[in-house]
Amino acid sequence: MTEYDYSIDHKGRLRRVQDKMQEWGLSAYLGSRLRTISYVGDVFCPWRSFIVIPQSGDPTIFTFIIDAERVRDDSWLDDVRGFGPLGGGHQIDVLVDALSETLHPSGSGKIGVELGMSCYLPEGNLTTEEYAMITDGLPNAEFVNAIDIIDELSIIKAPGIINRFRKASDIVDEGHKAVLDQFEVGMTETEIAGIAEAAMRKAGSEWSWSFTAGNEIASGYRTGYPMGACTPATRRKTKPGEPLMVDLHAMFKLGLGDHSHNYLLSPVSERQRELADYFIETITRVIDMYGPGMTPGKMADDMMDWADSKGIAQYLVPGFEHGIGVMGDEWRIGMNTGPMPYWTDPDHEYGPDQVVICAMQFMVPEEEIGFRYEAPIVITESGCEVLAKTPLEVTEL
Amino acid sequence: MSGEDVKLQYLSREWIDEVIKRVKANLTAEEMKHVSSSMVNIVENCPDGSTRHMYFRFEDGILAEALVGTSDDEVASKEAEFRIIGEYDTFAKISRAELGARSALMRNKIKLKGNMVKALRLSSVVDKLNKIIATVPTDY
Repeated sequence: MTEYDYSIDHKGRLRRVQDKMQEWGLSAYLGSRLRTISYVGDVFCPWRSFIVIPQSGDPTIFTFIIDAERVRDDSWLDDVRGFGPLGGGHQIDVLVDALSETLHPSGSGKIGVELGMSCYLPEGNLTTEEYAMITDGLPNAEFVNAIDIIDELSIIKAPGIINRFRKASDIVDEGHKAVLDQFEVGMTETEIAGIAEAAMRKAGSEWSWSFTAGNEIASGYRTGYPMGACTPATRRKTKPGEPLMVDLHAMFKLGLGDHSHNYLLSPVSERQRELADYFIETITRVIDMYGPGMTPGKMADDMMDWADSKGIAQYLVPGFEHGIGVMGDEWRIGMNTGPMPYWTDPDHEYGPDQVVICAMQFMVPEEEIGFRYEAPIVITESGCEVLAKTPLEVTEL
Repeated sequence: MSGEDVKLQYLSREWIDEVIKRVKANLTAEEMKHVSSSMVNIVENCPDGSTRHMYFRFEDGILAEALVGTSDDEVASKEAEFRIIGEYDTFAKISRAELGARSALMRNKIKLKGNMVKALRLSSVVDKLNKIIATVPTDY
């Protein structure tokens, strides 16, 4: 498999964060979101974790004590501390201590925190309890929601990050090859997920990262759930004459692979082929439309108008992408500037080196059929690069 | 009257001198896992109302320094790898080996500042120290 340059200028990235902190007048930034720890610490922290970024100097990561040494080994940061149910070791105690050191001796100063909400379960904003206990411990400090700092800086992906996405996509392609090679009708969805998992692990995947139960497999009627774009694999056995949807995920150095491929299991009907053709035509058009200046809202409006003209608008989820970044950064695209708090701004403009998951769900529940397309795409100067190399087709088996 | 019959005031200079003597005589570097570290116990609410400090430093498993004193004494300015804060009664139990260090931590009886991972790994070593301390006839 191809190797790429995965390096990140960690210090440069940190400097940019700290420059923003200076603009905001922050003494410290308390990162609690998974995406923030991934972005600044460049390390996978599966347990509740925090990163304290001072105005100058290196940050400190705080994580559950059972993983602290491993996180230190994996991160570029040296200062990684464990917290746990130990006197003086409670996460609030250690955070209050660390944040105190960044403040004026009187305890005054401004601390940026991460507040918000998400449809993504592990997002990691401060909970009400965490916020209350931290602010109680620092009564003279001022707290502001500073998620915009990380959100803005992480929109444009560094070359090393794009290459990690590229590699993760290559790994997912291996998963798809393995499924194509080994699948037999009668296998369960979980077996298919396992075939892909084994191949992707062999190719270097650290984790089938998706919180939607890793590799998502849907067969038969499950491919056509209304508005359905999430199908954890089940023990359902695949059957002749039905569709099969294989949506695989791989992680490589926090870069995320996410690609779906669709099958029709023989005997294939003309109607199934017709719907498959509509699906391919639609997604080809979507990919052609991506480029600088396009927005999620314009994409949805244009595509739904086109689909309506074809008589297939009712088969589509009226959204054609979701945000993606390093591990933890999933779903919302861009800043929190949209009409619906903490959801994608439909007017977010794409630009070069932004990465999104091009995602399209095509479903006909009354006919128990559906298809899903997902692939990471990098917006280029003139269009987009699709990172998944598995051919765009509905494969008949 | 033998030395064994005389009880020494807990956290007094005479008491720490006896602790030093017994630790050096009875605790090998191997038993102390050749640890190089230091800790200061900050003992709050002593019977006279004061806060007292109890400092230990080990080099390669050998006791290199041990001091006690109040917040005004030299010991209060000692830098240590671990700072442990707790009530007099809790430290008394620990020094009598009635309460293990790890147990005290997990029950929030003492608060530790320092590398938690290293502290937990050293807790059995600290318990060995406390078992020797517990042999000193002490007036609490």
